[in-house]
Amino acid sequence: MKQQFISTQEDHKIALLAALAITIHIFESAIPSPLPGIKPGLANVVTLFAFIQYGWQSALQISLLRVIISSLLLGTFLSPTFLLSLSGALLSLFAITLVQLPFYLHWPQKVLKLLSLSSTPTNQQAYQPSAIGYAIIASISHMAGQFFMAWYFFIPHPGLFKLLPILITFAVILGIVSGIITQFLINQYQQSSDL
Amino acid sequence: MQNNTSQATSFIIIDTPLKLKLADILIIILASYLCFWLYSHFLFTSDSQGKANRVLIQINHKAPLEYPLNQNKILSIHGDKGLSLIEIKQGKARFIHSPCRNQFCVFHGWLSAPEETSACLPNRVSITLKGSLNTFDAIAGEQ
Repeated sequence: MKQQFISTQEDHKIALLAALAITIHIFESAIPSPLPGIKPGLANVVTLFAFIQYGWQSALQISLLRVIISSLLLGTFLSPTFLLSLSGALLSLFAITLVQLPFYLHWPQKVLKLLSLSSTPTNQQAYQPSAIGYAIIASISHMAGQFFMAWYFFIPHPGLFKLLPILITFAVILGIVSGIITQFLINQYQQSSDL
Repeated sequence: MQNNTSQATSFIIIDTPLKLKLADILIIILASYLCFWLYSHFLFTSDSQGKANRVLIQINHKAPLEYPLNQNKILSIHGDKGLSLIEIKQGKARFIHSPCRNQFCVFHGWLSAPEETSACLPNRVSITLKGSLNTFDAIAGEQ
């Protein structure tokens, strides 16, 4: 029996973005970091772009592909590094999906209607945070996921918590940076697709 | 569609190419508040952690020796490489001599808070302060 696999336009998009994310991830792993756990997180720009443009399902596929394939290429598959990377990626995606949920359920519009401030229906994009807001949430939750994974499984010492404020501060700063990059990318993409 | 985009712009606070919106401002404020809270809660706490009342000295992976901290005493510990001198002085403890080259343990200075650790790796001697069990918070838990 001949099995046929028909790839859709969506698959092509995901494969392209995942390949981009893997490349960035591997280049980024060559950059030395001043403190263990601090990384620019440029690979998450791709995930965030996919999340905002195509929704969480595509972003989940891309980030899972990125984590698994880049760990296979770097030789860290199923090692502690892989587990930290996976938990961070999954938690950050979960967090931004959770933040986006009220906007998909039109809660701001409903609240405004209850307060009789605005009765005209607006699109859900109006109230949503831009890529910068999502990037901050994603990087904080990425760091938190990695941190609790590291603390719970690998270094269960309370002294590790002294590192948490510094790590979260760096997460916020680098999240803003990656959010600005993502916003520029989205602006460019939307301008080019309008043409 | 044209109407929707004009509606969307009314929620944009800073209309640069980046378009910072109300939700972004809220997220940035919450994130900076989280940072300040973490700093005040984990890094710059001195009294809330409680006092250490005993010191555990571990030599070469053997079961740790335990000494109370409310005394003035100098302990001489025979490690892998030679003699480590550990001083205990009214709630504090420190290395005062070590046979190793880097002397990290000596430069670490006094330890006074629970769960603080200093170690001489070449000599395989480490000291850890412990508080009474009720000074653990909910996050630290018991080990």
